[in-house]
Amino acid sequence: MKRSALLSLVISSFLLVEVGTAASRPHYGGTVRIATRGAPLSLDPAQQADSLMSNNLTRLLFDTLTVLNDRGVLEPCLAVSWEAEPGNQRWRIKLRPDVNFADGSPLTTDVVATSLRAANPDWKVFPAGDSVTIETLRPKPNFPAELALSRNAIVKRGGALVGTGPFTVSEWQPGKYLALRATENYWGNRPFVDTIQISLGQNLREQMIRFDLGKLDLVEIAPEQAHRAEMENRRTSLTQPIELLALVFARDIQNPSDEVSRQALALSVDRATINNVLLQGAGAPTGSLLPAWMSGYSFLFPSAFDISQALQLRSQSRQNVNWTLGYDINDPLARTIADRIALNARDAGISIQVSSNIATDIRLARVRIDSLDCQLALSRVAQALGLPEPAVSGASAEDLFSAESSLLRSKRVVPLLHLRAAVGLSSSVKNWKESPDGSWHVSDVWMEADRP
Amino acid sequence: MSLRRKLLALSALTVFLSVAAVTWIVSSLTRQAFDRADEDRRASLVAQFRREFDRRGQEVANRVQTIASGDTALQIATAINRGSPDYASHLNEARILAENQQLDFLEFVEKDGTIISSAQSPAAFGYKETLFSDVPLPATAFLHKESSREGPALALSAARTVTVGDKPLYVVGGKRLDKEFLASLELPAGMRAMLYADFGAEFSPANLISASLSASHPEQLSGLIAKVAQTNRDASEIVHWSSNPAEDELVQAIPLDGLDGRLLGMLIVGNSREPYVELRKHIRSTGLLVGGTGIVLAILFSGWIAARVTRPVEQLAKAASDVAAGNWDIQVPVASRDELGLLAESFNRMTRELLEQKDRALQAERVAAWRELARRLAHELKNPLFPLQLTVENLIRARDQSAELFDEIFRESATTLLAEIANLKVIISRFSDFSKMPQPQLRAINVNDVVRDVARLFQAQLSAPNRNPIACVLNLDSDPLTIGCDPELLHRALSNLVLNAMDAMASGGTLTINTRPHEQDATIEVSDTGSGLTPEECSRLFTPYYTSKTHGTGLGLAIVQSAISDHGGRISVHSVVGRGTTFSIELPGNMEKLGLAQSSSNATS
Repeated sequence: MKRSALLSLVISSFLLVEVGTAASRPHYGGTVRIATRGAPLSLDPAQQADSLMSNNLTRLLFDTLTVLNDRGVLEPCLAVSWEAEPGNQRWRIKLRPDVNFADGSPLTTDVVATSLRAANPDWKVFPAGDSVTIETLRPKPNFPAELALSRNAIVKRGGALVGTGPFTVSEWQPGKYLALRATENYWGNRPFVDTIQISLGQNLREQMIRFDLGKLDLVEIAPEQAHRAEMENRRTSLTQPIELLALVFARDIQNPSDEVSRQALALSVDRATINNVLLQGAGAPTGSLLPAWMSGYSFLFPSAFDISQALQLRSQSRQNVNWTLGYDINDPLARTIADRIALNARDAGISIQVSSNIATDIRLARVRIDSLDCQLALSRVAQALGLPEPAVSGASAEDLFSAESSLLRSKRVVPLLHLRAAVGLSSSVKNWKESPDGSWHVSDVWMEADRP
Repeated sequence: MSLRRKLLALSALTVFLSVAAVTWIVSSLTRQAFDRADEDRRASLVAQFRREFDRRGQEVANRVQTIASGDTALQIATAINRGSPDYASHLNEARILAENQQLDFLEFVEKDGTIISSAQSPAAFGYKETLFSDVPLPATAFLHKESSREGPALALSAARTVTVGDKPLYVVGGKRLDKEFLASLELPAGMRAMLYADFGAEFSPANLISASLSASHPEQLSGLIAKVAQTNRDASEIVHWSSNPAEDELVQAIPLDGLDGRLLGMLIVGNSREPYVELRKHIRSTGLLVGGTGIVLAILFSGWIAARVTRPVEQLAKAASDVAAGNWDIQVPVASRDELGLLAESFNRMTRELLEQKDRALQAERVAAWRELARRLAHELKNPLFPLQLTVENLIRARDQSAELFDEIFRESATTLLAEIANLKVIISRFSDFSKMPQPQLRAINVNDVVRDVARLFQAQLSAPNRNPIACVLNLDSDPLTIGCDPELLHRALSNLVLNAMDAMASGGTLTINTRPHEQDATIEVSDTGSGLTPEECSRLFTPYYTSKTHGTGLGLAIVQSAISDHGGRISVHSVVGRGTTFSIELPGNMEKLGLAQSSSNATS
């Protein structure tokens, strides 16, 4: 009896160890259930809104010619090599051989050329053997990094959109639901998970409720809610600060008094309080366009709150300032931040009327930094803010700093904060990885096996 | 205007004024009744507003009390007593609690007014709220001006204190006084309530809150609102929203004060005037209908009455007019036994008596005329007869006594007899002429020519040596006075007048004959400077056989009047005793008669 009992105990212990090991070991299969606020009506990368979620959805289905690794270094993807002709205006991209689309058709230079033309009408793209030649309107030294943007993902159009990505569409209800299945013959490594189910158009509150009920594995979390989610013992993943919150003036400086008033406004905004209270510490006060983790020189741009200096500057200006400040009506946080900025500005003698109108003197802009390439990121941020194209004379950090300084000296923009992005993850999601720019590595994720 | 029309107009006016007066009185009474009803309804609504205000206030106070008694308030109060509060950890507390308690406004405020957490203005943490700086916290709800993202708003607020340590925590919560609040008021039909948040010196339509559709021209309330803002007292006025009076509203504004007695808003009660306007319109329509019908009926009835009343009067008037024209043989019907009937009877009796008197006068006049004729005839005939008798007697005596002289006497007597017999013939021919005056044979003549002929005829007699001289003066119109006239008759008439004038001027004088035109007619005046006539003599002057002279038949002026009358003319006399007499003859132009006479004469020829 004692012997049999001891044997049973040994067998049970062995089985428990086996189950535990199997649950924590990478394995194929399973479904990742995701919810997102965005409700795209099309999966076409060229028509996607510029958001982190749409970027990640695109990368599940489609590949780009190049990719940037976590350190911002270019790596081949659908392209195996690239070279520029002198002047960096004409590029020759050699395609990866033996890559097929999800429908089985091969990746050809014609399809690539058509896809790039659709996303970039001002590019001239010519198929040439196993390569495509791309000619841009002006020199682009970091053109390969631009090819890594999700909007430049290669899509086979003409009927249903087909890509070469790790997943294939199995069900698509525009704006409501998207189901993906792993591409078995993916040219790279097959994803561990078999399927991904994505509920679209779910607000954050609904997402969190369903997440807490165990019906979702991955949800978006507003940056200001990330701290609370952690406090409530939810598993979260925070990116590096990858969004810029800034005040953008609609017009250039009109007169010296206007310039002084803009300076006073920049000094009157208590960025730290906004970050600590309104954003619950999810951001980083900044005076620069690019975040510190990318450029390394962000601290050189002042962002300190100095109301006395702001008042002093205001006293120099004999002009009454009555500005209107616009914000994104769909972003509840933006309204609160705009209110706070108006209160701060009032302390400096600047009257700001917060408005949801589009045509305002100032706009509270929230711009995603969508490239890990610093020069490209600066250019994209400037473009998104409506600023002139930054004149980057070289590839060094000094050149980048000079270009960004030039942009900020125009006083068209007052950087406020860099915001992180956050997602909530269920405990079933294993090996979750994100790039610094918030791009998911879903192919590496595997789901915890169901316990017996 | 005839009596009948006057009666009609008077009756219609009386009916119209009566209906108008009744309509005005009814309208006035109706308006007063409506005003009283409006006042009652407004008072009822204001009382209801107060009750709802108190009830909601108590509700808000209870909810604020619940929050103040909760763990969150306790935690915040504890945190501020420990030192500087962590705004981040309390950022959403007010909002969440406000949502849970269904409050529109909620703030946690330190004693110095620092906002710890605000539901309506989350970004305002760390800033000061000045509400309670110098006013003690009331136990009941109060009206409060709240700042929110949408701008200032009127709130029904309540405040509670949470005391943990030395530093109290104020919990201030409230509900927005908005459309929903107004919609909860049970308004009588035709009434509506609005709130005006008085946040600025100038009227702003955006501050006007209405449960129903907003007023199309809210600026029309600006005067009333400014008045209440200035006096802080109730005021009312009729607001004409459009040209349609049915859309008018009697609007009353009642000031709503805050904790410190400062005006924060107004309750504006609009009372539709539509029922009153409709009723007034109905009364007016009815009045007009009744008035119109009354006037028509009054006209018909008055016409009938007036006809009954005025017909005898009209008959009497016509009969009197006939009597005045000489037609005395007229009677009016006696249709009633009233005053008009008596008047008609009296009139008939009067005309009967007049007729009888006229007949008697005619008979008497006829008798008198016959007597006068007999007297004249006797007198005229007696004068020749007496010489005849004497001559015949002388002849008989001469034959008996002086046969030798008989022949001579016979011849002389025969001559005398013949002369007297001729004289008798003349007398008889005059009477005969008067009895058969010829009808005038009209011709176109110049009156002045006839006058000149007559003057020429009598010129010798006027200046005869055996009598006192009479000067003849002719004042004839320079233009020919051509009329249709019988020159023989006119000549005879003028000759008679000249003879009369000569008789009147036995001591001499001046005979003046004037002619002058009068439109188509001609006027002839024959004046003397004789002894003149008395008015009685003038009145009987044209009576046949009447004479004021010691000789003559009394037919001369009767013949003159007859001749002038036969021409359609008129003769009159004006005389002053001792100064003279003037006969005026007015002869018509008779051109139409002349044309007819000529055409008939041509046809005859």
